[in-house]
Amino acid sequence: MPKVNVTIDGKQIQAEAGSSVLEAAQAAGVAIPTLCHHPALKPEGNCRMCLVEVERQRNLQASCVFPVSEGMVVHTHSPKVMEARKFVLELLLSDHPTDCMTCEATGDCVLQDLAYQYDAKVGKYYGGAKHDYAIDDTNPFFVRDYNKCILCRRCVRACDQINGVEALGVAERGFSSQIIAGLGGTMEESRCEFCGMCVEVCPTGALMPVGTMKQGRYWEFKHTTTVCPYCGVGCNLDVLSKGDKIIRTRSAWDKAPNYGWTCVKGRFGLDFVNNPNRFTTPLIKRDGQFVEASWDEALDLVADKLSAIALEHGPDAVGFLASAKCTNEENYLMMKLARGVVGTNNVDHCARL
Amino acid sequence: MTEPLYRAHVLCCRGTSCSSGGSESIAQALQKLVHERGLESEVKVVITGCHGFCEMGPIMVIYPDDTVYCHVSLEDVPEIVEETLVKGRVVQRLLYRDPLTQTAIPKYHEIPFYGNQERRLLRNCGFINPENIEEYIARDGYTALGKVLGGMTPEQVIETIKAAGLRGRGGAGFPTGLKWEFARKAKGEPKYIICNADEGDPGAFMDRSLIEGDPHALLEGMLIAGYAIGAKEGYIYCRAEYPLAIHRLKIAIQQAHEYGFLGEGIMGTDYHFELYIKEGAGAFVCGEETALIESIQGNRGEPRNRPPYPAVSGLWYKPTNNNNVKSYCSAPMIIRNGPEWFASVGTAKSKGTAIFALTGKINNTGLIEVPMGVTLGEIIYDIGGGITKDRPFKAVQTGGPLGGCLPASQLNTPVDYDSLTEAGATMGSGGMIVVDDTTCMVEFSKFFLTFAVAESCGQCVPCRVGGQRMLETLTRVSQGTGTLEDLEEIRYLARNMNQASICALGQLTPSPTIASLRYFEDEFMAHIVDKRCPAGVCEDLVPAACRNACPAEVNVPVYIRKIMEGDLDGAVAIHRQANPFLSVCGRVCPAFCETRCRRGELDESVAIRQLKRYMIDNLGDRTYQVQRHPDNGKKVAVIGGGPAGLTAALRLGLLGYQVTIFEALPVLGGMMAVGIPDYRLPREQLNAEIDDILQAGNVQVRTNTRVGQDVTMDQLRAEYDAVYVAVGAHKSLRLGVPGEELQGVMHGTDFLRDVNLGADMSAVQGKRVAIVGGGNVAIDVARTAVRLGASEVHIVYRRRREDMPAYAEEIEQADEEGVKMHFLLSPISVAGQNGHVVGLNCQRQKLEEELPDGKKRPVFDNTGRKRPFPIEGAEFMLPVDLVIPAIGQTSDPGCLGGSCKVETTRRGTIVADDHTFVTAEPGVFAGGDAVLGPASIVEAVNTANLAAAAIDRYLRGEPLRTPATVLDRPVGQAKPDMSEEDGSRPRQHPAYAPAESRIYTFDEVERAFDRETAILECRRCLACDLEKKS
Repeated sequence: MPKVNVTIDGKQIQAEAGSSVLEAAQAAGVAIPTLCHHPALKPEGNCRMCLVEVERQRNLQASCVFPVSEGMVVHTHSPKVMEARKFVLELLLSDHPTDCMTCEATGDCVLQDLAYQYDAKVGKYYGGAKHDYAIDDTNPFFVRDYNKCILCRRCVRACDQINGVEALGVAERGFSSQIIAGLGGTMEESRCEFCGMCVEVCPTGALMPVGTMKQGRYWEFKHTTTVCPYCGVGCNLDVLSKGDKIIRTRSAWDKAPNYGWTCVKGRFGLDFVNNPNRFTTPLIKRDGQFVEASWDEALDLVADKLSAIALEHGPDAVGFLASAKCTNEENYLMMKLARGVVGTNNVDHCARL
Repeated sequence: MTEPLYRAHVLCCRGTSCSSGGSESIAQALQKLVHERGLESEVKVVITGCHGFCEMGPIMVIYPDDTVYCHVSLEDVPEIVEETLVKGRVVQRLLYRDPLTQTAIPKYHEIPFYGNQERRLLRNCGFINPENIEEYIARDGYTALGKVLGGMTPEQVIETIKAAGLRGRGGAGFPTGLKWEFARKAKGEPKYIICNADEGDPGAFMDRSLIEGDPHALLEGMLIAGYAIGAKEGYIYCRAEYPLAIHRLKIAIQQAHEYGFLGEGIMGTDYHFELYIKEGAGAFVCGEETALIESIQGNRGEPRNRPPYPAVSGLWYKPTNNNNVKSYCSAPMIIRNGPEWFASVGTAKSKGTAIFALTGKINNTGLIEVPMGVTLGEIIYDIGGGITKDRPFKAVQTGGPLGGCLPASQLNTPVDYDSLTEAGATMGSGGMIVVDDTTCMVEFSKFFLTFAVAESCGQCVPCRVGGQRMLETLTRVSQGTGTLEDLEEIRYLARNMNQASICALGQLTPSPTIASLRYFEDEFMAHIVDKRCPAGVCEDLVPAACRNACPAEVNVPVYIRKIMEGDLDGAVAIHRQANPFLSVCGRVCPAFCETRCRRGELDESVAIRQLKRYMIDNLGDRTYQVQRHPDNGKKVAVIGGGPAGLTAALRLGLLGYQVTIFEALPVLGGMMAVGIPDYRLPREQLNAEIDDILQAGNVQVRTNTRVGQDVTMDQLRAEYDAVYVAVGAHKSLRLGVPGEELQGVMHGTDFLRDVNLGADMSAVQGKRVAIVGGGNVAIDVARTAVRLGASEVHIVYRRRREDMPAYAEEIEQADEEGVKMHFLLSPISVAGQNGHVVGLNCQRQKLEEELPDGKKRPVFDNTGRKRPFPIEGAEFMLPVDLVIPAIGQTSDPGCLGGSCKVETTRRGTIVADDHTFVTAEPGVFAGGDAVLGPASIVEAVNTANLAAAAIDRYLRGEPLRTPATVLDRPVGQAKPDMSEEDGSRPRQHPAYAPAESRIYTFDEVERAFDRETAILECRRCLACDLEKKS
């Protein structure tokens, strides 16, 4: 890639031609605040948080979309820039519930962090018009509280660009603009597949998984990067837990194979772990009743029965069906068991069904 | 097929405006009648596009005579056929009439509206049938395309456009040739051409008329641009609200295909080009080029971040050239006539012509085309015919809802991209909205802001939320609940919206408000600080426009209802609360109330001044009904016994102060006594009113006592607790010409004072008198001179009659009394012989300045009037015996002196706070003409009301200033329904003494209303103050 010479806050750097001012600044270790920007999404420049002053430009420019060019001189924290950022934040706060004390996103909210950083006041436009949308909790996976929405459109872009579902859009215009699903109904009425990528990228508490509600503060959660137990893709997830309880799935953006991308199961399906109805020990039916047993008891029973069937009816009277939740290695072992130990080729996998 | 040679062509305008006036059925009826009369081989009826003079529509032009008929209706058609088409006579009543002289102007090109234009882009509009390509071809249509395809390289085309200096007509003014070059040089295929015809500004219809009147010009321009940049496809993005424009474009595109100008192998070359129409759904933001491109692509109309610019990545992310309709339409004429021709008009940096849609409070609304560089004043007054109802010009909004307004002080601003931007407005696409003094600039800003906020796409935060917050802040100002911090907030929001928004819509949404704040900050301050809307518009602050317009805020609708109920005592009491001069103001008040009376918007204002006179003339007991407070032991000296002094004395006297008026003259009344002649204000009426005041306030009077001479200011300061200075403005301004010292030169106010004080004026008898000036004093002097037996009375005024500041009624009466008025005439010296006046040497004036390049141009002053310039060699002497200059007065506060620190201005007026009227010297207050300069009685009364309240607070040791409150509204009273009869009754007029007899006497000219007339007139009042707020 050819390079261009750019000066950012007095630092002379070489940036890749075609990169944005934001990318160049980040590479040079200069922090520019962002809000609508998300590394996984195409930049849109709509929040105007990342404004910078580019010499010889009449207006401030959104660094996430403004391309670098040879000889460009950029100021990322000039008084003009700082005033504009605070202006943007105070406008956003003016149409935002000031309920950080009870908001689920507290501690994990870009708006909150930036407001703190820029000393943006919540009461600046006290008495001005404020939206009062009904909270939509009609779907089982996440709650939509558009009073907290800052219209950064990360959700819309995630839906379009990551999952390609295009379930979300913007309706109305100006101050009345709002995010809608489909033609404005519930998520279930839209073509939403509940992959939850919108929830993942939401920078505020506008979209919040049902399972997270009232489970604790963000800073109380432990992050564990782990593989999704559901299917053989082996998606990496960033699982948030508190004590023994799984609270929420976040994307592990830098991990293969999914690089943050999830489906509904990995995103919202891990609650089975803490489900009281989940079997945690093997059960054996005795006198018509399932009773708890040890693994040794259970495995012995299965081995005995399979051996007996194989002896009496031949190995082909036994079949093996592996779960899609199993890894390749587990599947390999299952095949070994079938062919090598029992002596049958009756081995299959549910993913073929 | 060859057409017959017609002896007459009748051009019927079928533009949108004339069509809504019924021009379609008119044209059909005409066609039918022409057929019935067997004239179809002689007379051809042609449907044309807009002529531009929409105010006069439906318009019909008949060639070869060049006759233009205005406001044609269906009923006029038979007469037009019989008289004009059969007999060759002109139907006089349908001709255009000069609004001032009422003379008919039969010929199209002699109408000033057209005479002052340079119609280049509009050359075909109104002359050809836009639905017939052959008519366009007959007017050299498509020859430019032929020239381009026949031997010009794309680069040559671009160079030609660049050489012409054409700048983008959409408003931003980017050089068009350069834009084309960018698109030409940009890498990527295919390339696209877009025409922005999404004209969304309120009050703008330039592009619409151009497309409706001359659609092929646009097609030809786009074909040339397509060739220049290397595009094969073009889109015209036209608003769906323009059905006629779209209809005609479709026809034009089809015909161009049929004639081989569109499609494959155009004109036999290998150039092919297709054109599509994309109908916009009415979002204003889609006029922004990148939002427009998104819209064409089928997306939500939202602007893109730039760069990349459309020239690099536009429609379908391919190189795209986007221009306004007028820019494309300019291309063929540049190619046809050469770039030098195009650049032959305009200014150094803005070449060619500009089209404007003139709307608002202007006589000639319509579409005009002028060379760049003409001034706003020329457009508004010479082409636009001035302001409707002769009201004062207040501002003109250019550039639509994202532009800005300019005040009268900017009337000499040339109309070009750079000058308008520098002045705080923008060229924009060409809307020009003119407003008069009945428009509140806060409300006006709010209108545009509301529009822009509603049209925000909502993509970026500054525009989406910032616009809303700005509107809320401005709304508070208009409701009187704003604060000074709100103005700072507006500026803060504006600055940051401008810096931080993605596109021009967000960046420029604050522009109209900021421009208004720049030029009309006083008006914003009045809303915030005084809780007043000076223009009488903002409904939260204005219970009734009449009361709002009155400087003393007399509660007009309430006293009118009292008169109607027969309660004259109550009516007079209401009036006296605000203004004690009913007899006086009932006769000589300029009646600010009437100029804003809402009934006047329907037919004529209520005759408020006459009603005032009626109630006081018919009052039984004139004694004040209010009880004077007991003496509080404090003393106030009032210097000057004019309207301000008397009012302050009354107010303070009623509050229990011991007030003494010191009056230099032998009589009280100030200008009311020695300035206004008896025939307008009989002495006994004035004296009765003064007596009422003195009695009610227990006021002591010392006449013939000149402060500064007979008693000093320091003495007064020592003896009295407070001093109020209201010495008026009695000193006449001098002409400053040679000969002013000659015997026979008297100054206006001196002359009137002498007459009023009973001096011997026999010297005027049989003499020829010349009065210089055009104000009320000049007229008073002239009419007085007539009554004193002058043989000739001349008024010499350097401007035009319509520019005279005197009341129209007075000018008319002076006329009737034989006063000769000379306009555009300025005195240069007084001619004398043996020390006596023998004449007035005058020089004729013209209303144009000659520029170094030989061009002439009018220069406008701050009042919207054209400044006179002397005509060399046009001097002559007016033989007269007396010369009376009456060109204005100033104050002569000679009373101040000693240790008194009161400051005066260069004009000689006293400097005083405009809310409390305290001077630089604590305890000394001032008011009336001494502060304002020559003004009306009611304005003087207002200053005295405010000063008296401040003096009271001062003497009670309270802060001088109290927070303003909103004017009260009557509560719990329902608005009565108006009967049909009252609703249609015209204004009642008083009788006047006949001119023939009144010139021999100083008896009152105007007669009073009788009871019946007064009641009928009262019933015409709309009772606006009882209206529910919306």
